[in-house]
Amino acid sequence: MDLLLAKAGEPHTPLGHVLDKTLLDVGVIGDLTMQMTTMVMGAILLVFLLSRSAKRIQTGSEAEGNERYITKGRFNQLIEAIIVYLRDVMIEPVMGEKDTKRYLPFLLSLFFFILTMNLLGIIPLPDVQNIIGKIFDGQTFFGLKMNDHFAVIGGTPTSNISITFGLAVISFILIQIHSFRELGILGWLDHLTCGLCRGPKFLLLVVPVVFVVELAGVFIKPIALAIRLFANMVGGHVLLATLLLFGSDFMFRGASPGAVTAISLVSGLAAVVITFLEIFVAFLQAFIFMFLTAVFISLMSHGDEHDHDHEHDSEPISPPFHENHEGAVKAAH
Amino acid sequence: MAELFITLASAAPSGEGGEKAGLLDFNVLANVTGIAVFLISLALLAKFVWPKIVQGLEDRNEKILAEIRSAEEAREQANSALADYERELSRAREESSKMIADAKAQAKALADELREKNEQELSERMARASADIESAKASAVSELHAQAAELASVMAEKILDREINVQDQKKLLEESLAELGRMN
Repeated sequence: MDLLLAKAGEPHTPLGHVLDKTLLDVGVIGDLTMQMTTMVMGAILLVFLLSRSAKRIQTGSEAEGNERYITKGRFNQLIEAIIVYLRDVMIEPVMGEKDTKRYLPFLLSLFFFILTMNLLGIIPLPDVQNIIGKIFDGQTFFGLKMNDHFAVIGGTPTSNISITFGLAVISFILIQIHSFRELGILGWLDHLTCGLCRGPKFLLLVVPVVFVVELAGVFIKPIALAIRLFANMVGGHVLLATLLLFGSDFMFRGASPGAVTAISLVSGLAAVVITFLEIFVAFLQAFIFMFLTAVFISLMSHGDEHDHDHEHDSEPISPPFHENHEGAVKAAH
Repeated sequence: MAELFITLASAAPSGEGGEKAGLLDFNVLANVTGIAVFLISLALLAKFVWPKIVQGLEDRNEKILAEIRSAEEAREQANSALADYERELSRAREESSKMIADAKAQAKALADELREKNEQELSERMARASADIESAKASAVSELHAQAAELASVMAEKILDREINVQDQKKLLEESLAELGRMN
C-alpha cells in the first residue's frame, strides 16, 4: 500500500495522493481533471441510488396493506433516517416550517451531493488504476498513455477548491435571493447596518464601519464554507497518505526491513483508525456545509415569522431557535 | 504555518507526473462543471426523488397519527364500555342480591306457611283422632256395658234359675252399672 501511494503521487510526498490530475488541457478555461470525472460519476451514482431509495421509501400500492408504509432495505432505511433527522431535528428548528418546506430539496441535495463526493474520496480508485496502468504499461486508453501514474477517475472532488467554491457560489446566490425576497432592498441594507440607522443618532457614526464589515461577511461566509470543506478533505487525506508513506519513506532512506515492517504495521493500523475518522468527517463536513447554509438563509428571514413558527413548535428534543442560531453563528465565524 | 501554506499552494506539477494541478490552483472549468453538475443533480433529485420521499414520510406520519387517534378512540370506547359493563355488573349484582333475598324471604314465608298449615292440620287430625278415640271409647264402653249387663243377666238367670222381669233387669242393670262405675 505504501508503494502504491508512493507511486500514485509524488515520491516521498503525501500531497500526490490529494492533488487533482489533469486529463485534458482545454485551454484558458481550465483542464478536464480526474476529480471532475469523479464528480460526474458521483452525481450519476447519487441520483441513481436516491431514486432507488425513493421508490422504497415512498408509500406503496394499497394491495400491500399496512406494509406499504414500511421502508424496505437497510440502505433505504439509513437514507430515510438521515433525511428525517436533518429535517426534523436540524433544519426545521432553525428555519421554521415554511422555509423548511421551501428549501428542503436544495439542502438535502447539497448534503447528499457533498457526502457522496466526500465518501468517493475514501475509495482508493486511483491506486487501483495505477496497478492497471502498470500492467498495461505503454498502451493507450482513449488517447491516454497507460503507465503506473494512469488514473482517469478517483480522488475527492470536495478536496478541490474550484469545486467547493462552486458549491459555495450556489449557496451564496440562494442566500441573497432569499434575502431580497424576504427583506427587500431596504431590509437587506438595514440588515447590513444591524438596524443602527433606526437607533440613536450618534450610532450613525459607526454605520459605515458596520456596513463594510457586514458586507464583507456576506461574501466571507460562503468563502468560509468552501475553504472549510476543502481544507478538511485535504487535511484528512494528507494525514492518511502521510501515515501510509512512513514505511516507504523509511525504506527509501535505507532502514532495515524489520524496521520498515514494524513502522508500516503501526502506521497502517493508525491509517485504518484515521480512515474511520475520515468517514465520520465526510458526514460531518457535508452536514456543516448544509447546516450553515440553512442558518445563513434563516438569518436573512423575518425574525417575527421564526418566533411565530417556534411558538407552535412542540418538539421537546429540539433546542431553542436562538440557541441554535447563536451556536451556528459562532461556528460560522 | 506560512511555510505550510506556501508549500500547499505551490504543490504544483512535479517532474514525474507532470500533469498534476496545484492544490490551490483555481480551475474555472472544474468550478463551472461543479456548479452545473450540482444544479443538474438538484433538478433531477427535486423532480424525481425528494417529492416521493417527502410524500412517503408525510403519508406515514398521517397514518401513524390516524392510528394513534383511532387507538385513542378505541381506548375511550373500551373505557366507556368497561364503565357500562361495570355499572351493569353492579346493578346485576344488586338485582341478584335482591332476588336472592326475596327468594329467601319467599321461601321462608312459604316454609312458615307450610309449617303452620301442617301444624294446624296435624292438630286438627289429632283433635279428630281424639274425638274418634273418645267416641270409639264411649261406644266401646257402652257396648261393654250392654254386653256386661246381658252377661250379668244371663249369669243371674243361671244363678237364680229363674226368670226375671224387665223391672228386675233394669234394676240389676243400674246396680251393675253403678258397681262398674265405682270399679272404674
